Amino acid sequence: MIRLLDIAARLLVRFAVLAAVLFLLVPLLVACLLSFDDRSFLGAFPPREFSLRWYRAFASNPTYMDGLMVSLQLGVVAAAIATILGTMGALALMDPRLAGRDALEAVFLSPKFVPTVVIGFSLLVFTARLGIFDPFTRLVMGHVVITLPFTLRAVLASLIGVKRSQIEAAISLGASEARALWDVAVPAARSGIVAGAAMAFVLSFDEVAVSLFLSDAFTQTLPIALVAEMRANLNLTIAAVSTIFLAATLLLLVLLDRTIGIERLAGDVGARG
Amino acid sequence: MDAAVGDGDHTARPAGVMPRLAIWLVTPGLLLLALLMGGPVLLLALESLKPYVPGSVRPGEGITFAHYRELLQPAYLFYFWETFRIGLIVASLSILFGAPLAFAAVRSPSALVRKFLLALLVGLLVMSLIARLYAIEMAWGSNGPLAPLGALLGIAPRHPRYAEVQVGIGLLHFTLPVVALMLVGAFRALSPRLEEAAASLGATRSDAMISVVLPLAAPGIVSAFLVALAMCISNFVAPLVLGRGVVVFTTSLMYTRFADIGNYPSGAAIGITMLILAFLVVYGLSALARRLIPR
Repeated sequence: MIRLLDIAARLLVRFAVLAAVLFLLVPLLVACLLSFDDRSFLGAFPPREFSLRWYRAFASNPTYMDGLMVSLQLGVVAAAIATILGTMGALALMDPRLAGRDALEAVFLSPKFVPTVVIGFSLLVFTARLGIFDPFTRLVMGHVVITLPFTLRAVLASLIGVKRSQIEAAISLGASEARALWDVAVPAARSGIVAGAAMAFVLSFDEVAVSLFLSDAFTQTLPIALVAEMRANLNLTIAAVSTIFLAATLLLLVLLDRTIGIERLAGDVGARG
Repeated sequence: MDAAVGDGDHTARPAGVMPRLAIWLVTPGLLLLALLMGGPVLLLALESLKPYVPGSVRPGEGITFAHYRELLQPAYLFYFWETFRIGLIVASLSILFGAPLAFAAVRSPSALVRKFLLALLVGLLVMSLIARLYAIEMAWGSNGPLAPLGALLGIAPRHPRYAEVQVGIGLLHFTLPVVALMLVGAFRALSPRLEEAAASLGATRSDAMISVVLPLAAPGIVSAFLVALAMCISNFVAPLVLGRGVVVFTTSLMYTRFADIGNYPSGAAIGITMLILAFLVVYGLSALARRLIPR
């Protein structure tokens, strides 16, 4: 009886794992398949004829192409700033004896729990008051705020293995504290810096709420253009974009696995809260 | 730190002192947050206390709590309730499915399964949410191949209320990888020896799971639940894209106050209320949970 219950429980757990994996993967595969649909309208699943028409539609749409350029530039600039500031912060916070360490960490991580609409709206009011109306500047400001916690967290997680005594050893050998951090901690933090920067770029590239408040009719990010289109009418151009995003994600995943390793990465980006 | 003081005290620096280098390292980030988040949120709080002048973008003079009082009306409370109700359901489901997923990703005997699950979770974490929400609309929408499955939940896919199911599915797709990865961290911290010890004392694997692993992972499970809840109630895109105007979250409410009506002060009041609720969920409830669950 007990054995039977045990087997039933384990089957149930396996079923939950399988259901979760299918739940996460099947929609992506459906969108991927639909993006190659040759029909000019949104027909019943599955498609019969296949073509690249929706990819051509995406590439020839100036709104999407302009949005893509803005999003790429914004992602690079915001991720660069957030990575530098986050790495600096993490290098200071890695010292467990630092006065007010926990409070400082909480402050650095706090943007994660401020709803993004609030960040966007408050920055809109704030920049308008200061007379800053350039949409790109406004967007960079918002995107750095929302990505900073992620870069800091990733670098901090990768520094867990670095012992304070290693840095103090370098100092006792005559290095300045800054030099010791640069030579000992920064190389050790490489995986966290890469993971944090990738995470920051991806978050910025996908951001809607903050961008909706801070962009204007002439400077639109790709997500804003996509969401506007999704609300107006569902067509398959977005399926093509989604499939491109999926391919880019897979590529990024392979690159990150080669440089850092998935096991380590899961620890660095997964460590939250 | 001056050289004269600096040389000797690195190794013997007493706790509670902030070295100069650390100050230099944290200041840029703190300044940025103070300037671009602290200041603006404070300004928003002030804005929320100003009277609204209909037809004007500029708020009136004086101080009023009218916009907060307005939120206590049943119509508004309903939106908050709706947001929390969907958030609580989604957060519970993400624990229910995230825990087995995380456990398999940490303890599966097959290295290939472990790597596949971790790659899937990390991949989804970095994959565009907009693309995922679109994929959900395509798969679970009234024309989609999964619509019959959605109909099992009791609402026909063509019914307007089905939007609620879709928003829930969208949010679950968003929270599940995050929750699972947080739990991967929690399970990794537990030694497999504990289960072996339980097994050697005659416990079955599910016994060991329920009486050894789950209690030890409880703090991690609680904080994952709270993070998932906070992610749901502050989400904006899912109700925007999948809600069809039927599912209105407080985030959507705030956006329409600002974008459609131009009532900045009222939008600001909703924003400040949401901010307080989100922080209560994350920090207040987790402090409470820490007190209730002995480590």
